[in-house]
Amino acid sequence: MSIGARIIGWAVLIFGLLYFFIPLGGLFEFSLKARRGVYSFDAYREVFADPQFQATFTYSVVMALVTIAIGILIVVPTAFWVRLKMPWARPYVEFVTLLPLVIPAIVIVFGYIRLYNTSSWLPLTGSVFGTNALLAFGYTTLALPYMYRAVDTGLRTIDVATLTEAAQSLGAGWFTILRRVILPNVVPAVLSGAFLTFAIVIGEFTLAALLDRPAFGPYLQRIGANKAYEPFALSVIAFAITWGCLGLIQIVSRFSKAAPSRI
Amino acid sequence: MSFLVLDNLQKSFGAVQVVKDFNMSIDKGEFVSFLGPSGCGKTTVLRMIAGFETPSGGTISINGKDQNRLKTNQRNIGMVFQAYALFPNMNVFDNVAFGLKVAGTPKAEIQARVKEMLALIRLEHLADRYPYQMSGGQQQRVALARALAPKPQLLLLDEPLSALDAKIRISLREEIRQIQRQLGITTVFVTHDQEEALSISDRIVVMNAGRADQIGTPSEIYNRPATRFVASFVGTLNMIDATVEDPAARTVRIGDQVIALREMPGSHKAGDPILLALRPEAGSLSSTGDSRLQGEVISSSFLGSVVRTKIAVGANAVSFDTFNAPDLTMPTPGEKVTLNFSSQDLLVVRD
Repeated sequence: MSIGARIIGWAVLIFGLLYFFIPLGGLFEFSLKARRGVYSFDAYREVFADPQFQATFTYSVVMALVTIAIGILIVVPTAFWVRLKMPWARPYVEFVTLLPLVIPAIVIVFGYIRLYNTSSWLPLTGSVFGTNALLAFGYTTLALPYMYRAVDTGLRTIDVATLTEAAQSLGAGWFTILRRVILPNVVPAVLSGAFLTFAIVIGEFTLAALLDRPAFGPYLQRIGANKAYEPFALSVIAFAITWGCLGLIQIVSRFSKAAPSRI
Repeated sequence: MSFLVLDNLQKSFGAVQVVKDFNMSIDKGEFVSFLGPSGCGKTTVLRMIAGFETPSGGTISINGKDQNRLKTNQRNIGMVFQAYALFPNMNVFDNVAFGLKVAGTPKAEIQARVKEMLALIRLEHLADRYPYQMSGGQQQRVALARALAPKPQLLLLDEPLSALDAKIRISLREEIRQIQRQLGITTVFVTHDQEEALSISDRIVVMNAGRADQIGTPSEIYNRPATRFVASFVGTLNMIDATVEDPAARTVRIGDQVIALREMPGSHKAGDPILLALRPEAGSLSSTGDSRLQGEVISSSFLGSVVRTKIAVGANAVSFDTFNAPDLTMPTPGEKVTLNFSSQDLLVVRD
């Protein structure tokens, strides 16, 4: 590579990093200014001391875990079956899994409320458990594009057809094949899908607000509307969580390279 | 009684018929190879026996029991794949134990059986290894042990040696044959490598375009090929186009030379074209045998243990091998030579 190209490359990289970090730096700097004249972590102390923060954050974490579980149960068998028996259906399935990126969450949640309200044949919104379930299903839908892609990529690294046939010839049925052969081999892919799901669920606002569940997203919005410094501290915390998730994905994917799943 | 019976087996994918009227009976403990070029339907037959494909017609029965309605996992068949197909998430022990675990075998019994299997393939010391930590040959031996562990009634080998390098291929095929004899397990082996099939099998099925061209012992297949396809696919064979000179005297004309055959199919009339075959190892320059053909040397190549010489006889190119010796003078191109052979080595091949 010529020196000129190298300089341009670095310049672009630095510009990108500045574009990303300067606003973030401002955000962080402002969140430290709760006490006049000096930098302090007062805003963070406030946030962490707020029982609402703990309650909503715990709620969202639990919801994220439930969403991940539902997502794995739906996506892994589907992606496996499409790869094995219906390769012609792949473009269609991919299209369906991409829909949540195109259809706004608000449309989905209004649809849910219309379909499952208290005067419908399945009044899910009539009970706390029902509403929670509805929210988890909604989250699963939002996470579908990421989950499906991750799992499908994971399946690409193993010879699904031959491994399935090998397991069948050894007497295994579909359930055993999925649980003992397919799932363990796509764990890194499932995990990266799971972390993305986690990050989405933690920050999600629309579904939780309109279904009136005490999630972290609406809490973030409420604090933002009513306080000066705390919302910025919260934003920094939310960033840290998201980055933590991304970092975990990196570690997991690197870990999986050290132990190749390729046959 | 035959153990594995394939009766009128057929398979079509859409409009393409890949297996046509395949009939075969295999005895218990027999080692049978399906030999043929890619696309001849040999793997499809194997996959139908395994239950991965459903026959379009015909029946498969094992030990008198119809298999058509059984799913793969109900057939108790051991299978070894070209790509090894070991479970990457399990170590050697768990791979071999998989079939036993699925069958719900008690733990102590699994331990004993896996140990026995690993001893059979001489890999006891690698029980904790993962597939990616082993060579191809080792992986394939583990795959064999895994297939044999649940005591299958039939062992299917789908080109198990094709992905391995030459040396391992030969040693592993000997090992497979020895294990097969030791366990007395009925085995079907699919390969496109004729040397592999000849060296390992009790019987060989040479397949061509979805049909069994010839079924026979390795020596029958090699020495008495039934069709032009079998003759050309198995071993190196000289094909000689000739015309019938006199059916009563059993003579044929090759170029401008006339020679007598040991036997002549009754249907031939004078002037009919006839296809003859001669193995390169049957010919010699020293005056042995009762038949001879004159020709001009086209080329001569040194292959180590043998020297292969190609001569032109009329419009045909005929190759023959002579054993190497330190004092051997190689024939030079253009030289006129006389090829001697026994008339019983000259075969009549049907098209």
